[in-house]
Amino acid sequence: MSFQIPIGPQHPALKEPISLRMTVEGEVITGVDIRLGYNHRGLEKLAEDRNWTQNIYLVERICGICSHSHATCYVQGVEKLMELAPPKRGLYIRYLVSELERIHSHLLWLGVAGHEAGFDSFFMYVWRDREVVMDLLELITGNRVHYAINTLGGVRRDLDAGQIAKIRDGLVVLRKRSEYYFHIGANEPSFVARIAGVGYLSKEKAVALCAVGPTARASGWARDVRKEDPYAVYDEVDFDVATADSCDVLGRVVVRVKELLESYKICEQILDKLPPGDIAVKAPRKAKPGEVVSRYEAPRGENIHYIKSNGTDKPERLKVRAPTLGNYPATVEMLRKGFIADIPLIFAAIDPCICCAERSVTLIDAGSGEESVARMSDLRRRAIVRHENAPLKRNAVWPL
Amino acid sequence: MKIAVFLPELLRHLFKKPATVDYPFKKLEVPKDFRGTPYLNPEMCIACRACERDCPAEAIEISSVNEAEKRFRMVIHNDRCIHCAQCVDSCPTTPKAMQMDSLFEIACDDRHKLKTDWVYVRAVLKPKAAAPAAAPQAAEPKT
Repeated sequence: MSFQIPIGPQHPALKEPISLRMTVEGEVITGVDIRLGYNHRGLEKLAEDRNWTQNIYLVERICGICSHSHATCYVQGVEKLMELAPPKRGLYIRYLVSELERIHSHLLWLGVAGHEAGFDSFFMYVWRDREVVMDLLELITGNRVHYAINTLGGVRRDLDAGQIAKIRDGLVVLRKRSEYYFHIGANEPSFVARIAGVGYLSKEKAVALCAVGPTARASGWARDVRKEDPYAVYDEVDFDVATADSCDVLGRVVVRVKELLESYKICEQILDKLPPGDIAVKAPRKAKPGEVVSRYEAPRGENIHYIKSNGTDKPERLKVRAPTLGNYPATVEMLRKGFIADIPLIFAAIDPCICCAERSVTLIDAGSGEESVARMSDLRRRAIVRHENAPLKRNAVWPL
Repeated sequence: MKIAVFLPELLRHLFKKPATVDYPFKKLEVPKDFRGTPYLNPEMCIACRACERDCPAEAIEISSVNEAEKRFRMVIHNDRCIHCAQCVDSCPTTPKAMQMDSLFEIACDDRHKLKTDWVYVRAVLKPKAAAPAAAPQAAEPKT
């Protein structure tokens, strides 16, 4: 006999509102529905109402953790539309902040993973060390959370010698601490036992369900936009794509700790190679008509912005595909055949950012339980086709 | 695999000072690029409305008080301000008419008290100082 357990939109195990409906038999999950839309804020529509400059700050506020990712992804796209070439120094500073943001996001996630696994002292120590990188970000950009360092054609704040020295000192501390956590992870049997074998996602499934970021890399699929389609400075720095083959939450922890160490490497190389010169060029107020797709490897995976311009000072359309949305189908697969007690851990392991992902509609096929994510344009096309073919319905009832 | 690998770290921290700062009694210094509250330097403002146009939160409002006297009124709605300092970046005058201070304790129990306004006569800058001011307007029709 199977039961349905609703989790969310408001639930103590979830940091952000999302509705999950689990079908369970005993303790074992047999089916999962993810229902999106509770946290929808209409940011994409709002973006059509603002000019290119205002949108940097709007897009930055899609998410609090990966704010720089969204802003950079957007700015990259708009610069391509405006045919702007930011100066080298500006780009180096922009991607230095990117890597520092990745470090802070992964440390945050590592703490959350420890917390969800019941290892709360780990969580507190990791978050204390995360303050080091938060302070560095504040030092460079002026603010802790929404850095607002990007502008069209470069960055807004320059680095001086004192700041560079402080960043280097901070990186030394962070590297030492991360290596220590790597050692803890490898040697603490209770922690490893809790996360090993939980949330299994095979490589074939990860490829088939288009998992992104650390979730895909933990299933042995080396997929990283920084390596595959190097943008800006990433073809000038040397780093490895961290992968793991264990396909479970343990793998996702290992991938993120390894990525931390790679990020320190990238930051140091960026500081070594930091060229002199200007940090920004002047941007025009209007962009030429056209469309562009911008890809960016956010801490959680591949972030895609689609921007369409009609020649005015405002975008005609801005579409955001956040990495969490790409990971939802894979999450459904991971949760299936798992236990109820593992839901928070598995769900936390994709590093979900609900506020990033709430901008499209998810379709759930009631017959087969299959889930597909449809874009607004697809939905519109489907709706029109259906409306043309369908006869007028009388006595229609709500199908629930 | 060992048992309780984390324990030495925990024990060591028993004898250390807390990692947090005793906030209301001890304050951290803000970094030099900190973005606090925007304010206007009315002697420099040429009322070009660049800040009003670029403000993402629509927190800046410039209205004309007296057309003949070229008297303007600027209101900054600090309750709406997101402290991005784009107004400072957009300001074309040198030195900038829009400035940022480094105050961060600006919380208030009434949002209407957060409004600040200035009534001023539009500045007429000398041609040399006005040169950078003319640049953004010249760049506009090009695109």
